[in-house]
Amino acid sequence: MTKKQINNILIWISAILLIVLIMTPGLWVVITAFRPQVDIMAKPAVWIPRNLSFNQFETMLFGGSEGSMGRSKVPVLSYLRNSLIISLVSTFIAVLIGTLGGYAFARHNFKGKNTYFFLVMLTRAIPGISLSLPIFILFSKIGIIDTHLGIIIVFVALNVPFTIWLTDGFFRQIPRAMSEVAMTDGCTRLQAFWHIELPLSKSGIASAGIFAFLISWNEFAIVSNLARSTDSKTLTVGLMDFTSQFTINWPGMCALAVFIIIPALILTFMVQKHLVSGLTFGGVKG
Amino acid sequence: MLRLFLSLIFAASLFGTVSVKAETELWGDYNGVTLRVKLIGGGQYENLYNEVIPWWEENTGGKIEIVTQKNHFELDKEIKKDIASGNLDFCVASNHTSFAAQYGSIYTDLNGIMPASVLADYTPLILEHSTVDGRLVQMPRHSDVSSLYYQKSLYEDADNKANFKAKYGYDLTPPDTWDQVKDQSIFFSNPPDFYGTQYVGKEEAIAGRFYELVVANGGALFDEDYRPIFNSDAGIESLEWFIDLYNAKAVPEGVLNYLWDDTGLGFASGTIAMNLDWAGWAGFFNDPENSKVAGDIGLIRAPMGSGGLRTGWSGSHTFSMTESCPNKDAAASFMWALTSNKAQMIEARGGLSPTRPAIWDAIIAEKEAEGDEFMLMVFETFKQSLSLDAFTPPLIPEWIEFTNVLYPELQAAILGDKTPEQALETASKKATEIMEDAGYF
Amino acid sequence: MKKFLNGPWVLLLPTVIVLACVVFLPLLISLWTSFTPFKLTRPDTLYKFVGFRNYERLFGNYDFWVAFGRTVLFLTIALNLELVFGLGIALLINKITYAQKTLRTLMMFPMMFSPILVGFQWKYIFNDNIGLLNNFLREFGISPKPWLVDTFLANMSIMAAEIWSSTSVFAILLLAGLMGIPKDPIEAAKVDGCNSWQVFKNITLPFLMPFIFIAMTIRSLDVARAYDIVQMMTGGGPAKRTELLWTLISRTGYVDAKMGLANAMSYISIFLSIAFTFFFFYKLMEARKILSYD
Repeated sequence: MTKKQINNILIWISAILLIVLIMTPGLWVVITAFRPQVDIMAKPAVWIPRNLSFNQFETMLFGGSEGSMGRSKVPVLSYLRNSLIISLVSTFIAVLIGTLGGYAFARHNFKGKNTYFFLVMLTRAIPGISLSLPIFILFSKIGIIDTHLGIIIVFVALNVPFTIWLTDGFFRQIPRAMSEVAMTDGCTRLQAFWHIELPLSKSGIASAGIFAFLISWNEFAIVSNLARSTDSKTLTVGLMDFTSQFTINWPGMCALAVFIIIPALILTFMVQKHLVSGLTFGGVKG
Repeated sequence: MLRLFLSLIFAASLFGTVSVKAETELWGDYNGVTLRVKLIGGGQYENLYNEVIPWWEENTGGKIEIVTQKNHFELDKEIKKDIASGNLDFCVASNHTSFAAQYGSIYTDLNGIMPASVLADYTPLILEHSTVDGRLVQMPRHSDVSSLYYQKSLYEDADNKANFKAKYGYDLTPPDTWDQVKDQSIFFSNPPDFYGTQYVGKEEAIAGRFYELVVANGGALFDEDYRPIFNSDAGIESLEWFIDLYNAKAVPEGVLNYLWDDTGLGFASGTIAMNLDWAGWAGFFNDPENSKVAGDIGLIRAPMGSGGLRTGWSGSHTFSMTESCPNKDAAASFMWALTSNKAQMIEARGGLSPTRPAIWDAIIAEKEAEGDEFMLMVFETFKQSLSLDAFTPPLIPEWIEFTNVLYPELQAAILGDKTPEQALETASKKATEIMEDAGYF
Repeated sequence: MKKFLNGPWVLLLPTVIVLACVVFLPLLISLWTSFTPFKLTRPDTLYKFVGFRNYERLFGNYDFWVAFGRTVLFLTIALNLELVFGLGIALLINKITYAQKTLRTLMMFPMMFSPILVGFQWKYIFNDNIGLLNNFLREFGISPKPWLVDTFLANMSIMAAEIWSSTSVFAILLLAGLMGIPKDPIEAAKVDGCNSWQVFKNITLPFLMPFIFIAMTIRSLDVARAYDIVQMMTGGGPAKRTELLWTLISRTGYVDAKMGLANAMSYISIFLSIAFTFFFFYKLMEARKILSYD
């Protein structure tokens, strides 16, 4: 074997170890959804899952036998719908607004630019608790509590600074000359942006999009502050349906968690492709 | 415009073979009325809404609009925010006896709104617990009190009996006092594989457990003016019970981080001999799908403290009506429906403890007829606990805030960071500040 | 008009509007409440001005400053460990070409877990009696540990959960940076006889620096999301051993309903965030100067 081959094998072994390490705590949750409670926290442990079933999913979707442990139907489909609408729309808007902002910071020199940039970032540094009550009061005055709109607005504000950060970094890597040529050819700044720079920074925008989506998808504190009924409660907040004052249905909660994890995983996998095109884009700078 | 019907109906055939004593019904014609309501969500609680709401809508012509349906603690936060933002545009909300005092006067006094004949159907003691400053602010839905679950086989084992008698000089039977619980827990423990008992170790949970033990040991948290008096012999004795079990490793070392889910799952794992817990877990513990101790569970009333009282920290889930509700008659009718015989029977079948004597009789009769000995034992034990032992925490708005200064001190004493005296001294000082700020003295 | 359309502000306008509505306006309201004895359950207290009383109380509040110090320590350690692990993962995955897309997705697996779920999950993993970890140790004859009770272990356990859930963020950002590195200088350096370490130190790392600081800043701003994790796992206990600013503030504000005091606490903690953010921001500017993008 050549040195290169040995190297490759070592890399693969460490990659596999790494993935196992990363995946195990998460897979435990996924498997829990299919296992009977009696096995989950057994002592001594039952390491090889047995008696797997879809019981938790069945109960969650269609309702189950009478009982006190949260064995009734959970409005999963409403939660899923709310989650999808809120996350997708807020991600789209945040990325749109954030990309424009990132472009402004990357391409324009204006007085106090760094200070403004810093200010935008700082909006993210404010603890949610000092915002949650005033936002609640404001939103209840306008009447957008428990609506998709209210939550989307907050998520957009939450994700915009972040998107500006990421896209700013990516735009900086694109040579200015490219858009300057276009502008001398009579394009406005916006046109140059749209035709030249935007396509080139696809990968940066894609990763900003993934982040914004995942943050919205998994957000708990804000939604639990602004959502009240099935009109706007998301899957994440729905997790708490499996707790009551004194009891918890942990496998049930894991079953709902599977509903949260899988769409996010699929979406992430789909967007990964655009990250690959980042490779080509990186070559541009060359 | 709206008529209020009061009628007595004998509902002998309402629940199949089992007969339920008559109740006073509170129907009315509420055509065109929409009630906005905020309800506790979660699987355990939602069965009730799914059945009662259509039933009420059909009989009254009114409509129910669920504004909120969320977890207990989230709902508490939400109501507090509603008060802060002056946004009380709902009529009926889930409430709890331990929480009710915090909400001030947003909820209306039901005396006078609820006919006396309706109130007569509920357990008087529970209605008393639902009263804050002489105002009946809530209708009880179901009650909670703890009883002691234990693994039966441990007490039937001949070796255990003989060894225990030899070591402690009295017979091994399910414990009647907390001192016996301590002895037996230490006796059964084999850490880290098996523990005698466990307790919830944080937040309101441990504060409540400490409180009930102080009472059972003949002490009290506050005097009549709400001056803290728990830094007393009874207070020290109670705290030492927690400390002794912890030091003897008769409880898992992690208990200080346990809440109700941890203790429930722990007992179900079969690694705990005795577990003081709520009625809600009974069905879970006896289900072989969920629990290793299924079929091997005994249940007795909570043991006694040195003052001769049993620990009976108790609370009830309730419904309250806002003062700002524009349609109080309709709201009263709906609250009655949510806590009526029919409603309570639904919840009792799910294992929750009813607040009407008639339903206790009915559910016990039903379980007898079904031959379900386990659930029969559960209902009979909890019936006794609730009628004989139950008491509420002080029904003051500062209760939760008080528990937040108490519990870190209890934990510090249990971990040995402080002596019990120091811990109770500090807690007492902080509690005095809270009470002073609140203007009690 | 043409000038405005070509200028930066037309691009920044939407950002400014959104942030003004959702952040600055509410912030002013909560600034006001920090000067009142505002109690959620007594709305009239909102109009009672008490000056700096809440702040004065906090300056003498031992528990608050301990939580403050612990939060600084927690942030520093957690962020640095996440960076190191994230960089390692990114470098490793960058080396792999086959099935990289799948690997990247798997690497991001923890990001699919909501912090609230992570809290429950790790609480049960670290449960001392029936938890996954102690069960695992028992198989090897190692005595179980009280993960969530012992001061050191409890803080480490929380940090482990936080690191598990957030390292992917670093990894994916740095990986994106690595993929953007121009190949020519690296090839040239190798031709000139530089070894891998030299290439990494002199070319890869400076190029990555902006990404590292972006990631650091984003994470330091975002790390308060760990509140859900800590709240579920220990709630700041036992005996305040894991109390962080977030758990303290949230309990004071919503459970004790003392919103005025809680907001004073969060204003003090904003300075902490500003300090962290400013530090990384400053570093980012420096790193950019070295690369002379501007």
